[in-house]
Amino acid sequence: MLESFIPALMLAFSPEVILYVAIGVFMGVTLGAIPGLSGDMAIAILLPIVFFLEPAAALGLLTGIYKGGMFGGSISAISFGVPGTPGSAATAIDGYQAKLKGTPNKALMTALYSSVIGDSTSDLVLIFLALPLAIVALTFGPVEFFALYAFSLLLISALTKGKVAKGVAMAALGVLLAMIGRDPMGGTLRLTFGIPELAGGLALIPVLVGIFAVSELIIQLSKAWMERAERIMDDTRQRAQSLLGDYDASKDKLTFSEFRFTLKATWIGTTMGTLIGALPGAGSSLAAFISYGLAQRFSRKGDEFGKGSLEGVAAAEAGNSATSGSTLIPLFAFGIPGSATAALFGAAFILMGMTPGPRLIYDHTEVIYALFLILIYANFINLFLSQFLLPFYSKIAMIQSRILLPIVCVLAILGTFAAGNSVIDVWVLLFAGFLGVVLRMFNFPLAPLILGFIVAPGAERALRQSLLIGRGDWMHLLSSPIAIGLYTVAAIMILTFTLVLRDKK
Amino acid sequence: MFHKMTNSNKVAVTVVASMMAFAPGVAAASPLSNDPIRLVIPFGPGGGSDITARVLSATAPEFCGPRIDVVSMSGAAGLEAVNFVRNAEPNGHTLLVTDYGPIVTSGFVDDVDWSHDDWQPVMNFTEWLPTVYTRPDHPIQTIDDWVTAATEEPATITFGHASPLGLVHLPLILFESVTGLENIHVPTSGGGETRSLIMGGHIDLGMTLPPSIASEVAAGELTALGIFSEERSPVLPDTPTFREAGYDVVLPAWLMIFATSDVPSETVEHLQDCFMEALASPTAVAMSDRVNAGIEPLNAADSTRLYQNTVENIGNILRDIGEID
Repeated sequence: MLESFIPALMLAFSPEVILYVAIGVFMGVTLGAIPGLSGDMAIAILLPIVFFLEPAAALGLLTGIYKGGMFGGSISAISFGVPGTPGSAATAIDGYQAKLKGTPNKALMTALYSSVIGDSTSDLVLIFLALPLAIVALTFGPVEFFALYAFSLLLISALTKGKVAKGVAMAALGVLLAMIGRDPMGGTLRLTFGIPELAGGLALIPVLVGIFAVSELIIQLSKAWMERAERIMDDTRQRAQSLLGDYDASKDKLTFSEFRFTLKATWIGTTMGTLIGALPGAGSSLAAFISYGLAQRFSRKGDEFGKGSLEGVAAAEAGNSATSGSTLIPLFAFGIPGSATAALFGAAFILMGMTPGPRLIYDHTEVIYALFLILIYANFINLFLSQFLLPFYSKIAMIQSRILLPIVCVLAILGTFAAGNSVIDVWVLLFAGFLGVVLRMFNFPLAPLILGFIVAPGAERALRQSLLIGRGDWMHLLSSPIAIGLYTVAAIMILTFTLVLRDKK
Repeated sequence: MFHKMTNSNKVAVTVVASMMAFAPGVAAASPLSNDPIRLVIPFGPGGGSDITARVLSATAPEFCGPRIDVVSMSGAAGLEAVNFVRNAEPNGHTLLVTDYGPIVTSGFVDDVDWSHDDWQPVMNFTEWLPTVYTRPDHPIQTIDDWVTAATEEPATITFGHASPLGLVHLPLILFESVTGLENIHVPTSGGGETRSLIMGGHIDLGMTLPPSIASEVAAGELTALGIFSEERSPVLPDTPTFREAGYDVVLPAWLMIFATSDVPSETVEHLQDCFMEALASPTAVAMSDRVNAGIEPLNAADSTRLYQNTVENIGNILRDIGEID
């Protein structure tokens, strides 16, 4: 095996491949920063390119897009409160608050560093621990998955400080929205009210962008109108404001001590992201939310979460990015695509005449070694390029909303349409926007709703599969040690945080 | 990169167009305009249908004239794609590439404003042969093992099959109604989930299409029990058909290109000719081999027979289980 390492090294570090990785990262960061567009979409569009490029170059390009997109999603999450990709929904919670406090650059830098740390660790795990971890991942069947989903829902919703009932209600609403469409087991239509367009259910991107982004746009817009009306009424306000308001970029730098303080959260995110990423079907947004929830529990400044905590940004972003290497583990170990991204990489391998699975590394040692090297160094290209780009992006974030909002709004609608070529998605987007406004007005937390919406299809499938396999016996849900362990941890955490920690206040 | 690609496509189209200007016989005969042809697929990108359609879109412009785009529309469980093609202008520039699910099955069970006769096949890419498989250390290793086990203890064997009434579920229903056996049907989110449930020991059997398990079966990491087709699959030469084992259950799936029935017949004929010509080209054959697509094109007439046959079969199964009356 080692003798193929040198040619792989030459392949991975050939100028052409490095250039493709850099182009990919740049495209990924930029596309990911646009609400609704994700790296996955760009990969899907560019798939046929593998017909025309050398395998290493094509994989370099796709890897670059993927990693860039993963981080790019957090740019719009922090800058506009709009998760650019589903995985960055958790990043939006604290990232956007940090921006409102006037420190978008600190949040963006935290996101970048934690993203790169999470991603690199996950890649190393893919390279060195793929097989053992994949075998563990296979022990996750319907029973274990349901326990994991239940755990994540409890963690996020029931522990929202001071708003437990509202959190649970929002998670339930998310689950309800996710149930619209075809019953995954029987095929019957549910909650479609005779509208055939709803048969496929609500798509994730329009709901996500609508709830977070469009609602924010509507609120900002109405604020802007209010201010304008006030201005006309009394003329004391200063007319000419500079384009950037009073943003002072020199005060908005991430210090080393701040970075060190976020490291614990980053490692929590990295660990959870890597583990959850390796489970087929769990996904990056679940990883980000669980990491966020755990980091809050274990933080010395847990109260800061939700108010612009850099730890919150670090945990969510590390959790999100740390799925990127490990999501390929089931694909490499067994040929099972565990996520949409893994499926697209699988398709790319197939288009190149390589069958995903355990034989891949033996049959195409050079290319796969080269891919491993690319996976690692693409992170550094991401770090370098993004560090160069971020000052510009954080200035964009501070452009006055009357200029910025219409642009973001157009991009959100375009991005949503492009993701599924569907006009219905645009209507869902607008509807979700108005729903978001109402929920914000009554101070409901939005994160549990999104998490409920994301995990509900998987949780329902896992629950009903478990019951089918256990022939209707609910005790079957407790038939696995992993599941019992997850339920126990969830119960202990809830008891601890409701009974013990509440008294501290 | 995307721009570069479209540009090079444009160059290719221009080159082809200028070549055709010197071959008036070809250009005059084409009922197509210069607008691109859209192959609409009712599934997400990256799957077998997408990959197969892309072989055609990469090779056919040379033979058909205009550029060919693959458009993925998975909304409303695929019906959005079907409706999009249905409502497009009937000029042969908007075509549907689908298996029988969104068109035959949906035509029966969903509330749609079209019937099976509103569609005409242009060409068939390939036939997919549903295959039952399991892990190698499972006690059931052959069709006979399965039948014996299911007879001794009815409704105990768990069977994973992707979405209900889909390509890899209907054959199981047909098999059960022919043999009277009962299994526990476990719907999954797709082939990947079925496979991880089987390999993790959570369910007993599952159904998939041969190319996705061929290399694992050859390496002894999965066992293929049997195939619901008339003949064995070329990629699984050692796996018997259910017919060989004495059960006459045959329900292959296909991947067909459809036009609406109001597209003029000379347009359909032109498309059929240039698609078939393109797929017979050395480039297309090489691509098809590389992606394991197993493309064996059928012309419009043969595809129509296959389509009508499937409509009848699926109708019978659905009536049989009381899904429609």
